[in-house]
Amino acid sequence: MSDSLKYTRRDFMKIGGAMGAAAGAAGLASRRLVAMENELGGTDFSPTTGAERQAVPYTCLACNIEDGGVAYVENGRIVKLEGNMDHPNTRGKLCAKGNSGFLHVYDPDRIMTPLLRTGKRGEGKWKRISYDEATTLLAQKLREVIDRANTDQRPEILNEIVFKWGRDRSGGAVGRFMHALGSNAMLNHTNICESSKKVGLEPSWGPDIESCDWANTKYILNFGSNVLETAYFMNPNSQRLVDGVVGNKAKLVSFDVRMSNTSGFADEAYFPYPGTDAAIALAICHVIMNEDLYDADFIRDWTNVTAEQLIEHLKPYTPEYAEDESGVPAKDIRRIAREFATTKPATTFSYRGPCKHVWGAYQEAAIHMINVITGNVEKKGGYCLPRGMGWPQPEPVPPKGKTASVIAAPPLYPLASHHVSTHAPYMIMKGEAKVSVWMSYYDNPVYTYPSSHVWKDFLTDENLVPFLVSFSPYMSETTEQADLIIPDVTYLERHDPESMPSGLYPCLSIRQPVIKPLGGTQEFRQTLIDVIRKVDPDGSLGIKQYFAFDTVEDWMKAHFDNIPGLKEDGGWNFMKKKGVWPIYGEVDKETAKIVDKNGNEVDPDYGLYTKEVSASDMEGAEVTADGTIMKDGHAIGVQVDGRNRVGFGTPSRRIELYKESYRKYGFNPLPVYKRLPSRDKQPNELVLTTYKVNVHTQSRTASLKYLAELYHKNPAWINPKTAAARGIRDGELIRVASKLGHIVTRAHVTEGIHPEVVAISTACGHSAYGRLAQLKQREKAAEYAQGGEADIDNNVWWNDKGVHPNPIIRLAVDPIGGSQGWFDTVVTVSKAQPGDNYGDVVSSIEESVNDYEETLRYAYTGDLHRANHKEVDIDWDNLPEPELHASGH
Amino acid sequence: MRIEMLNTSTSREEMGSQTDISERMAETDALAHLYRFVARVLEEEADDTLLDLIRGELRGPLEALGLHFDEEFHNTPLEALRETLAEEYTCLFVAPGCISPYASVFETGCMFKEPADRAIEAYRAAGWDYHRRMSGEFPDHIGTMLGFCGLLAEAEADALAITELERSDELRDRRERFLLDQLGSWGPGWCQRAAEAAMHPFYKTVLSLTESLLWSELSQFVDRRRLRDLAELNRREPKRLDYDADFRKASGL
Repeated sequence: MSDSLKYTRRDFMKIGGAMGAAAGAAGLASRRLVAMENELGGTDFSPTTGAERQAVPYTCLACNIEDGGVAYVENGRIVKLEGNMDHPNTRGKLCAKGNSGFLHVYDPDRIMTPLLRTGKRGEGKWKRISYDEATTLLAQKLREVIDRANTDQRPEILNEIVFKWGRDRSGGAVGRFMHALGSNAMLNHTNICESSKKVGLEPSWGPDIESCDWANTKYILNFGSNVLETAYFMNPNSQRLVDGVVGNKAKLVSFDVRMSNTSGFADEAYFPYPGTDAAIALAICHVIMNEDLYDADFIRDWTNVTAEQLIEHLKPYTPEYAEDESGVPAKDIRRIAREFATTKPATTFSYRGPCKHVWGAYQEAAIHMINVITGNVEKKGGYCLPRGMGWPQPEPVPPKGKTASVIAAPPLYPLASHHVSTHAPYMIMKGEAKVSVWMSYYDNPVYTYPSSHVWKDFLTDENLVPFLVSFSPYMSETTEQADLIIPDVTYLERHDPESMPSGLYPCLSIRQPVIKPLGGTQEFRQTLIDVIRKVDPDGSLGIKQYFAFDTVEDWMKAHFDNIPGLKEDGGWNFMKKKGVWPIYGEVDKETAKIVDKNGNEVDPDYGLYTKEVSASDMEGAEVTADGTIMKDGHAIGVQVDGRNRVGFGTPSRRIELYKESYRKYGFNPLPVYKRLPSRDKQPNELVLTTYKVNVHTQSRTASLKYLAELYHKNPAWINPKTAAARGIRDGELIRVASKLGHIVTRAHVTEGIHPEVVAISTACGHSAYGRLAQLKQREKAAEYAQGGEADIDNNVWWNDKGVHPNPIIRLAVDPIGGSQGWFDTVVTVSKAQPGDNYGDVVSSIEESVNDYEETLRYAYTGDLHRANHKEVDIDWDNLPEPELHASGH
Repeated sequence: MRIEMLNTSTSREEMGSQTDISERMAETDALAHLYRFVARVLEEEADDTLLDLIRGELRGPLEALGLHFDEEFHNTPLEALRETLAEEYTCLFVAPGCISPYASVFETGCMFKEPADRAIEAYRAAGWDYHRRMSGEFPDHIGTMLGFCGLLAEAEADALAITELERSDELRDRRERFLLDQLGSWGPGWCQRAAEAAMHPFYKTVLSLTESLLWSELSQFVDRRRLRDLAELNRREPKRLDYDADFRKASGL
């Protein structure tokens, strides 16, 4: 021992310090031990037993982005959710909503058994019945309608069977069900979502959205989208946006009336007046075209307009004009236009901000045009077509109903190809349509729609809606009104096929039960099978044949087992094991990019429209004078430079900046800016806008503890100058009043909002949806006793559930796309008046009905349509007559 | 009411005489019936058979114990009464916002958690399995748990009837352990809250009876200090925090 070296602790510290300072020593460590997180997921272990947990892939449905997930299951219970590393577009990440999704499953306020109403509608009196009894009752109600239609030989009666959904991710099951019954009366929620974006894009290039190549771009113009938090494909898009801005040094310029987190992340943020995005976009186009910064070849070869036409059309839209309308300085618009046109590649992105206005379709079309004239379409780093994959419907597939439904396809909105669901109650109240059975699935219009009080009044009226069925597993504001509830399971307990174009790698994915449906509950798909078999027990109606599935899993196999490529990989069994197909590669631990076995990035396909039409498809095809390749009466491609290209999904197979379909009904065929009534508001008035937050969906997540704790109240954002002018201080009670009525909420005074705007988020102020959403465990302690659950009892520290703004939001619909103008309501904001209490909501049904009549004046037959489209070259006296669209949309 | 029970410390040797055994057997048998009655009422909706029994054969014995159901209960047509009670049952024990009858919800705030596992383990250890009859039912339903106590008491009485004293002691121990471990900390308190929330006197009465039964049973074999602890646990309910919404900035962020 005497020979051994003697060190003091100080010596060790010195040596260690020196090693720390040595650059070459930084990487010294065991190469055997790795932190668990470095494995990037895929496996998980019980912290108590150490046993590996069962990992089951699924597709998320906390919101509509459909991220790939893996559920970890221990003792038959879901203990953790995380992203599926095999999913090429979400790359192993879930958002806060997705991570919290398993709370839906075990929510004590979940509806676990069918309930039959025993009291008055909405009174909350129920009797528990079995699934068998419930499906028998629904089948009886449906059969009564079918028998009446058959007896009277009037197939239109079948449209009295109405199915309304908010979120249908059943992969065609709902359509199959309704068409099997012979009804076309299906309504989605899209007109309160982004339908005018879709109708702004579809006639132009085919698909309803864009898929930006964020990660490889150099310049991004963001219009009215909070993509880092909430917009369509938030999780995958936000990942790739960060890849682009941070990893690829892309410049981000954001236009939003509110300082969203996306605008906060931007290099430049602008706060335009609501609904003026098109003025800015058209001014950008004006600069690009007039300064010869456009892609002449692309415009010539791939659009249906000429550069000269565009220059002429864009004449009025100078940057100075746009400044007058939007408030965004002309010099900045000019500079941004030049930067965008000269920086390659570049892309725009837009979501609800521009399109949720009257004439929102024009706004989207104007933004889309920026990409087209600069030739950024389908380029690496550019503005790309969405990529998705289809799956076959099991044969036989039922035909559509014989008669079109007036509420599914309102004749006054011939271009609104995604329904105008806001109008359904008003049309039914006016006697334009009749309902016998109304089915509600993943839908809560009593909360989520503009003038939501009208929906409550409508659905409560047994004369208008004789039988109301809800398939919701939660007691939402709408489900409370139901006569019969047949609860679905949660998304973690059921089957669905999926393919969301959430990135540039097209893929299929599945939803499968990660645990058995809790407590013997029954998935919606099985309920549909049961109902159909009871409607047509012996098959004599010809309906039963469409639901000849022995099990729900058989139904899924019929979707997946014969898809070329997937079939060879194992079909449905492959999907069950991996959750997604194809597997493009793996996520690189350093770059988070999808790489192959050699570590090389797997490049997506670009230039989809330039693919060659196959020789077999060209057989028998003809090429028209303008180069369109026609076969069997359909355009299948376009000849450009002597080559046969598949082109875009339009009649000419080119991008149709000029939309003849618009002109037919007196709308401007080219993108224009129309000044909204809200732009001419009185000086003392403000424009009310709403917005989503990153941890909530519109209405379905307020009952989740993790998320409610993060965000549960929604004070009105108001600019300091605006507040000061009204004597309002931060946190004070205020009254926000529209023509419909008023709400009493609190002010959040912040610079992060346009001075002429007041913004109130969605997701708060529930009057239903479980005890947590309503904070009932405080108001009625005994009735809502949770006993000793520490998290709920002690950590529900808030006593403010927020105030819901929808009852004062006016119905105002885009006559082109049919979208609700969420951001067109003009309000006054003042200090609360004596007697006002936080949470007060007052709204008038009569005024809402007046709004319905008013918004019809903007429809193509209305006087305000004509007054606002004098420039359109059309025979105004001979516009097409309103007609039912064949078999509905 | 009070059910007399022999102290657990009484051993087979001490029991001795046939009279003692007969007395214990009669008491255990009565207890079994009582458990089975409250279990039946709480586990699912009342049917005609149960209502006929309560309004007929059991009316006298129940009233002798001070359990009076009002004249409306006795005079309402059977079908109407059944439907009224079904509605009350659903709103009280089934529909969202109800007084959830599951130990898991009481103890963890979520359905189907570890208390459900413990319940089914106990059932299986005693030779019973669990099969739900309606969707949304779990093994830790208070009605089912009371029914299990009834089964154990019944088996205990049967064992006493054939003088299998060791087996009867084993069954008694099992019942008491189950009662203490799985119901003692929340069952009586839950009954009290449910009785307060009940709109119909029928459920108010039966829930109050159940609460008394549970306390009575627990007091037979639990010392006073532990009993006080249990009473405290059963008083648990959501706290009302002294929270001022104005003390934070109104942003909610």
